[in-house]
Amino acid sequence: MASSNLLIGLEIGTSKICVVVGETRPDGTIKILGVGQTPSRGVRKGEIVDFETAMKCVHEAVVDAEQKSDVMIRSVYVGVAGSHIQSFNNRGCVMLPEDRDEIDEQDVEDVKINAREVSIPAQNAFLHSIIQHYHVDGQDGVLNPVGMLGQKLEADFHIIHGVRTRIQNTIRCVKELPLDVEDVVFSALASAQVVLTQHEKNLGALVIDIGGGTTDYILYVDGAVKQSGCIAVGGDHITNDISMGLRIPMARAEKLKIEEGSCVLGNCLPGEAILLKDDSGFAGKEIERETLNTIIHLRLRETLELLKRRLEEQSFLDYLGAGIFITGGCSLLNSVDHLAGEIFEIPARVAHAQATSGVTSAVENPQFSTAIGLIRCAQALQVDRPRRRFGGIIGKFFSGMR
Amino acid sequence: MIQLSKNYSLPERDEEFIPIKVVSIGGAGLNALDRIVLDGLERADVVAINTDVQSLASSVVAHKVQLGRAVTRGLGAGGDPELGYEAAVESADEIREALTEARMVFMCVGLGGGTGSGAAPYVAQLAREAGALVVTFATLPFSFEGKRRGAQAREALARLNEIANAVICFENDQMGDIIAPKAGIHQAFAMADITISQSVRSIVNLIQRPGLIRIGFDDLLAVLRSPNGRCLFGFGESDSDNRAHDALAQALKNPLMDRGRMLADAASVLVQVAGGPGMTLSEVEILMQELGRHIHEQTQILFGTAVDGRMGNRLSVTIISSFATDEDLIPQQTQPAQSTVPAMPPVWEQPREIPPNVVIEPQPTTMEALSPADFIPPEQPVPAEIAPPPPASAIKKIEPHLPMPQKKSVPAKEEQPLAEKAAHAKQEVLQFEPVTRGRFEKSEPTIVEGEDLDVPTYLRKNIRVK
Repeated sequence: MASSNLLIGLEIGTSKICVVVGETRPDGTIKILGVGQTPSRGVRKGEIVDFETAMKCVHEAVVDAEQKSDVMIRSVYVGVAGSHIQSFNNRGCVMLPEDRDEIDEQDVEDVKINAREVSIPAQNAFLHSIIQHYHVDGQDGVLNPVGMLGQKLEADFHIIHGVRTRIQNTIRCVKELPLDVEDVVFSALASAQVVLTQHEKNLGALVIDIGGGTTDYILYVDGAVKQSGCIAVGGDHITNDISMGLRIPMARAEKLKIEEGSCVLGNCLPGEAILLKDDSGFAGKEIERETLNTIIHLRLRETLELLKRRLEEQSFLDYLGAGIFITGGCSLLNSVDHLAGEIFEIPARVAHAQATSGVTSAVENPQFSTAIGLIRCAQALQVDRPRRRFGGIIGKFFSGMR
Repeated sequence: MIQLSKNYSLPERDEEFIPIKVVSIGGAGLNALDRIVLDGLERADVVAINTDVQSLASSVVAHKVQLGRAVTRGLGAGGDPELGYEAAVESADEIREALTEARMVFMCVGLGGGTGSGAAPYVAQLAREAGALVVTFATLPFSFEGKRRGAQAREALARLNEIANAVICFENDQMGDIIAPKAGIHQAFAMADITISQSVRSIVNLIQRPGLIRIGFDDLLAVLRSPNGRCLFGFGESDSDNRAHDALAQALKNPLMDRGRMLADAASVLVQVAGGPGMTLSEVEILMQELGRHIHEQTQILFGTAVDGRMGNRLSVTIISSFATDEDLIPQQTQPAQSTVPAMPPVWEQPREIPPNVVIEPQPTTMEALSPADFIPPEQPVPAEIAPPPPASAIKKIEPHLPMPQKKSVPAKEEQPLAEKAAHAKQEVLQFEPVTRGRFEKSEPTIVEGEDLDVPTYLRKNIRVK
């Protein structure tokens, strides 16, 4: 019994690999049993570039999680990210037979298949098809059409797809350990499940998950996913910029970013300096705080402005009643919420996973949003189709999750 | 740069301590004085002067003087400076008696009300007549207290400027800025008291503490002398590993300091570094070097240092300065200040004029350079694909707080290499060889909207960062 409601989320991130072990309770809440993590190597911009090294790191993280939570990990839900992941909205349509006007579950299945009959590049595979709304004979905003009377059933879907081989690389890395992969979930979608409440999804919200290698985003309006995607720029880029701009080693730059960095300008004293103590192989150095902040500011501003331009292609930004939620490791950077609020002209705040119990200290950190979100996704998936084995990434979709 | 204190000879120079009295006038002054006494003040006597018997009774100060027994009959002055003045005149003898023996008088007063605005100039006058040096710490009312109160305060301030040797002026509005918007109003008032208390105590310490390089009252006066009494004051104390840096950072964070930006305009700055026996020369050196970045090269630094066994591990920095003009104050203050204040401070100070190179003169242009509008606001869009900006604007973006005079003073040294380097950066971007992508060298490039996002943003936008 214990194993049946045990859920494990694995996020192979650019800066860290993180395994969260959770347990669903009968009342639907999630209890976090343990979190295992290792610094990530062999991963760039959310994708594996060095298979052997990455595999070793995943193994270490899994062992770490097993020790901390005292469970055997056999199967995991894996989060994927990467610049190849794209999304669009599409509408499917089925006509009911002449002799029947009550919509049944089969019709709903049909319309889902119909909605996915669109051309995506040949090498791409569907990752998610997420239902937005049904329309019955032109009536808008139907949430569950089963049992309704009508002749024409239409459904709007948000479809997320990515390059098949690149998704499979991640899966293979886990399978060789060997662990079973229950499912793969786009990481922004996972984050949103724990960062947002249903109420916030209904009001309209944008989740920006700024991780180590990628910036993933997902936009909800009226409780439905409207836009999502991934920009292959993240905290690593900031560190790289600092390292090059100040001519200090990468590890130093990373530490400096975390400890001293801020993305708001004009907040420090003129000439205020940070003293880097000398270290083996590194002579001490004084760095002007404003310079550091300028580098961070320029990078984050550019990334967020790029994101804004992407989102402005459709006009959903005006419908964000709940505002912007920033999560992921980079959201820990000082004042990143102010910068986002200023660029989007919408209130923004830093958010972490909500509504879980157990090791809450782990939960209350935006770094773990995706990994914990994976558990929430897994829970939704299990309700949707109990114990269905993972069978290739094509032909998977889940409508239970909204 | 560093100047030793001049030997202005006070009559009691040989004495160990100079007799100092800290006097409060009016209700607001009394609150501040209570705070000072509670925080602990050594080597100085305190006297509370007020018309309101009730507030005098609840004060912790031992020596109290009631003004105007006949005029106000133990009540307050009711917001009327005339009444406050009359009350003070009536009790002139008592005030004189309270101030005898004092060589220096620090007055704490909240301007705007009746007693403070009315009696303070008169008390200052009595103190001066008794031969004491008078430094006034005045608070200006919150702007929401009304224009009438503000006008009374400014008028009284102008009078005090005329009479007192120096006036240090705190604006309550500014105190409000540094506390959380949701904090209670009492906290805003308390903040003013705390700041005044800190100032008074550190100045008393500064004068009374036996110094290796002593700061005298003359230094203090030289620094504080300014036409409108707007004063920069900062005090920081730290016992951390990096205490020199931390103490200075704390001092610069003081609300009257505006994060050190205002210092750039000061004609002279008084700095006292005090510490326990463990204070090292290198610490002082680090601190002064760091402070040097905030002030103009031409600025005269009056430096003092003291070793005090009671400081233990702590190191404290006191920075005092004033600046010539302030665009916020000029328009409101024009009539009272110009009509009543003589251009120069009282006559008897003239002989001890500060050296000619530090004569304070209004510098509207430099103030202009410092005005917030000139700081590059974070939301300013950075030109993306247009031609590389001229080097001058690039400098401005990166060092928005660099005051103009500094640039002017070293044109040959600064601008030449900058221009060269900017050209150099531009060339880098135009190279056919891909520019450096650092750790992303071997990964798939992220090309979005025609730009390789792996290249640092500042390189692509041609913004110089050093």
